[in-house]
Amino acid sequence: MSPSITILAQHLLNGVLIGCAYALIAMGLTMIFGVMNIANFAHGEFYMLGGFVAFYLVSLIGLNYFAALPLAVVVVVALALVLQHAIFRRLREAPMMTTTLVTIGLSIFLENFALLLWGPQPQSIPTPFATKPLSFLGVYTTPLYVFCMGVTVALIIVGHVLIRRTRMGKAMRATFQNKEAAALVGIRIDRIYAYAFAFGAALAAAAGAVLGGFIPVEPATGGIVTLKAFIVVILGGMGSFVGAIVGGLVLGLAEALGAGYMPSGWKDAIGFFAVILVLLFRPEGLFKRA
Amino acid sequence: MPEPASYRVATTVVLVALCAVPLVVHDEYYLHLFIVSGVFVVAVLGLDLIVGYVGQLSLAHAAFFAMGAYTSALLFVRLKWSMWLGLPAAALVAGVVALALGSVILRTRGHRFIIITVVFAELMRLVATNWVDMTRGFMGLPGLTIPALDIPGVGSIDIASKSRFYYVVLIAAIAAFVLCRVIVRSSIGRKFVLIRENEPLAESLGISAFRYSMIAFAVGAALAGAAGSLYAHYVGFVSPDLFNFSYVTIMLIMVILGGKGTLAGPALGAVIFTFLPELLREAAHWRMIVFATILIVATLYMPKGIVFPLVTHLLARQGRPRNARAP
Amino acid sequence: MQTLRLVLAVAVSLALAPYAAAQESVRIGVVQPTTGPVAYDGNIYVNTVKMLVDDMNAKGGVLGRKIELVVEDGACNPAQSVNAAEKLVVRDKVVALLGAFCSTSTAAVMEVAKKHKVPLITGISTAAQLTEQGNPYFFRAVATTPMLGNAFGGVLPKAVKAKRFAFLVLNDDWGRSMAASYPKTIENAGGQVVATEFFQQSDLQFLSQITKVKAANPDAIVLAANTQQAVALSKQIRELGISVPLIGEGAWTSDSYIKLAGPASEDVYGLVEYVYTIKSPINEAFVKAFQAKLKENPSKFAGAAHNAISIMVDAIRRAGAADPEKIRDALEKTDYNGIVGNIRFDAKHQAYGQTVYLAHVKNGVPEVVETAQIAKP
Repeated sequence: MSPSITILAQHLLNGVLIGCAYALIAMGLTMIFGVMNIANFAHGEFYMLGGFVAFYLVSLIGLNYFAALPLAVVVVVALALVLQHAIFRRLREAPMMTTTLVTIGLSIFLENFALLLWGPQPQSIPTPFATKPLSFLGVYTTPLYVFCMGVTVALIIVGHVLIRRTRMGKAMRATFQNKEAAALVGIRIDRIYAYAFAFGAALAAAAGAVLGGFIPVEPATGGIVTLKAFIVVILGGMGSFVGAIVGGLVLGLAEALGAGYMPSGWKDAIGFFAVILVLLFRPEGLFKRA
Repeated sequence: MPEPASYRVATTVVLVALCAVPLVVHDEYYLHLFIVSGVFVVAVLGLDLIVGYVGQLSLAHAAFFAMGAYTSALLFVRLKWSMWLGLPAAALVAGVVALALGSVILRTRGHRFIIITVVFAELMRLVATNWVDMTRGFMGLPGLTIPALDIPGVGSIDIASKSRFYYVVLIAAIAAFVLCRVIVRSSIGRKFVLIRENEPLAESLGISAFRYSMIAFAVGAALAGAAGSLYAHYVGFVSPDLFNFSYVTIMLIMVILGGKGTLAGPALGAVIFTFLPELLREAAHWRMIVFATILIVATLYMPKGIVFPLVTHLLARQGRPRNARAP
Repeated sequence: MQTLRLVLAVAVSLALAPYAAAQESVRIGVVQPTTGPVAYDGNIYVNTVKMLVDDMNAKGGVLGRKIELVVEDGACNPAQSVNAAEKLVVRDKVVALLGAFCSTSTAAVMEVAKKHKVPLITGISTAAQLTEQGNPYFFRAVATTPMLGNAFGGVLPKAVKAKRFAFLVLNDDWGRSMAASYPKTIENAGGQVVATEFFQQSDLQFLSQITKVKAANPDAIVLAANTQQAVALSKQIRELGISVPLIGEGAWTSDSYIKLAGPASEDVYGLVEYVYTIKSPINEAFVKAFQAKLKENPSKFAGAAHNAISIMVDAIRRAGAADPEKIRDALEKTDYNGIVGNIRFDAKHQAYGQTVYLAHVKNGVPEVVETAQIAKP
């Protein structure tokens, strides 16, 4: 393959890797938004906590990597359920400003709590994969990157199936569309809320745990992740899962290609410009609410 | 609605006390905190217009503050414009940008609006950081000074010392307060509140939520820009740090905990939440955890804020004996 | 009777006052990031200064008085650093300042130092403009990136056996000045610059930039990054199949970098103002004490701290009084020999004369392979 094609392919592969991660995180965010009508500013903190807990399980307790990842997710989900029970349950009918301020407060709380507990040092999770790169026709990746992509894609599929096929998923979608009707039909709204919040947190935490192998996690990471997730959700349409998936991939690819062929300082601006374009021409996002 | 007498007395006492501060406080450190509080009073009064009165949560406010700071700094560094010109320019630029942004996003409601204000703020930060030729990126723009006050016929008065600059900031804060009070008490202000409480009703009465939101947004941004200019010249430099989310957070805390939808509330909030972090210097992370907890708890259980209700409660208790005489 | 007692008390206090003043310690203020993104290195700096001051106090302090350190957190945030410095000068009445790590914060603190006429020394901030402001109270005890470039650029092609150099640097003043100053000396020595890419302070994945660098097919990559990003960069560069030598300014030979980057740190070169493997009696003693107290090898930030506090205390000693003006004057006449050799200040208060090092990481140990001396600018 000619060098420029190889480089293009490399950029595309990088874009897909990051895009899958964006998609996974955004799915969780859009779930929380769709069911609970809450813009979760603390979403990135679930990612960050997933990464940190996994790091500590692997490096301090010496747990097997493949056991640590799901366990980290479980820990974060437990935290999310506690938060849901203690705080968000009361906010079911609350105005948007209230819920947003609460999630902003939560985000600051969790970030500084992490700082207090673990310090500002970024950590990357030790993985059992060989570090030697794999190459295929001049395009490079590593076993870890392949694992990351595999897991994120698998989780996206699982998430999609859960929403579309299971009873819980259907109940969630019903609540999405019409809360009062769903309640009338006997769906336990409180339970749906808890599931939605836990599910959203789980996806973000999984992303953090899996990506933490090659992208170091620090307490401040949460804020950056939240911002990216919001951009994807706006692009894809708030409340649409397909939108989150497509939006995530689009953003990942756009950033990789943009940075690949333009001054890389403006890489992050790509997402912002995309948001402005969407706002001007298609405010609801690419897809409607699922 | 006429104010209770106790309120007028309190206001007079406060004003006199404020004027007397530099005469009583000689510690430069505390004067510094007073000055910074004053700057934030101007900024958060602007935020209160959009968050408290119209009821839209804008997270772009700190970006307007920073934008004002940068505008003033750039005009100073490149065109040698003093703060007297830079400040109105900063307010103007912030207001105009707010109008432009608002025309695009103020038709959106709900979460999308909030998120887009965040995105806008981040974009501004990127510009400040990356447009190195203009803004010097991370290095920022240092060397800003407080100009002398030239009064024709009287001469040039140096106002750069802390005790003198305090009065400049005090005048700015009072001016901002008066401006907001005029707006809030006018029919415009009443329409703000109607839009906040019942937007469909407002629309049905022909009151365009869009137009009035724009007014609040632009005026608020202009105030933030003016505050930014004061801050830049006082501190002496600007850098992209001004766009950090922490400024948004602290301004929100000042407004919400001070008492959104009132004027004295956020003003008091600005003073308290400038002094408090400095006094809690030692416990850096705990400090933010405590603030975050207070924010969550106050949002959940004290929608009127903490500061203002407390103050009015204390004042009301003093007023009661007089009112008791009424038949 | 009461009045008499009062008068006696006052008289005795006045008589004893000079002795009380003599017992008063010499206060030195430190503004460093003990929280925030560079807190790890900031804390190393602070702990090093504390260790050295304790040692100095055990040996009698300075001018017969104890040295008292007052540390405030600047968090590498200019506004916060200014608040910290103001507090130190106005309330704690320090006679000298050390700080503030990041160049933007140091630039801000410089103004405070000038306003209150207290000398400030930095061992870390390398932005060129700092010494161009003509601030008589600011001293820089570290070589700037252009000075390092002049000293080492010409050595690199031979030392790492490379001709095609790519730059992958932080998008701030430091990185940009590296990308601007090293190429001249590299090209003079027969090398060639084939690519220059930037990344942001908040980036933690660099796949796009690394891919672009790879496309230019370099023989060596020159980088500017601090620990956190250096680790991610090293790993990701190797993961994308690039095996050429990496040459870095920043924290590329510190213990924390080597530990965190693991195998990716092998064969990395560091362009450093200090490394713990320097062979000299002063340094070996310092390293031993550091290892005993802080349980790791001193990084360049520890070295910087050593220089800063030692030069400042040396100046206080020569000034003969804990008076900021006199200390400032004494600083100008500095002719100090420390862990990196001889340091003097030029007319702009820029340090020169010290040795700088090219260190090569082999089996987890950064060995010094080349040295150069910083010429008077």
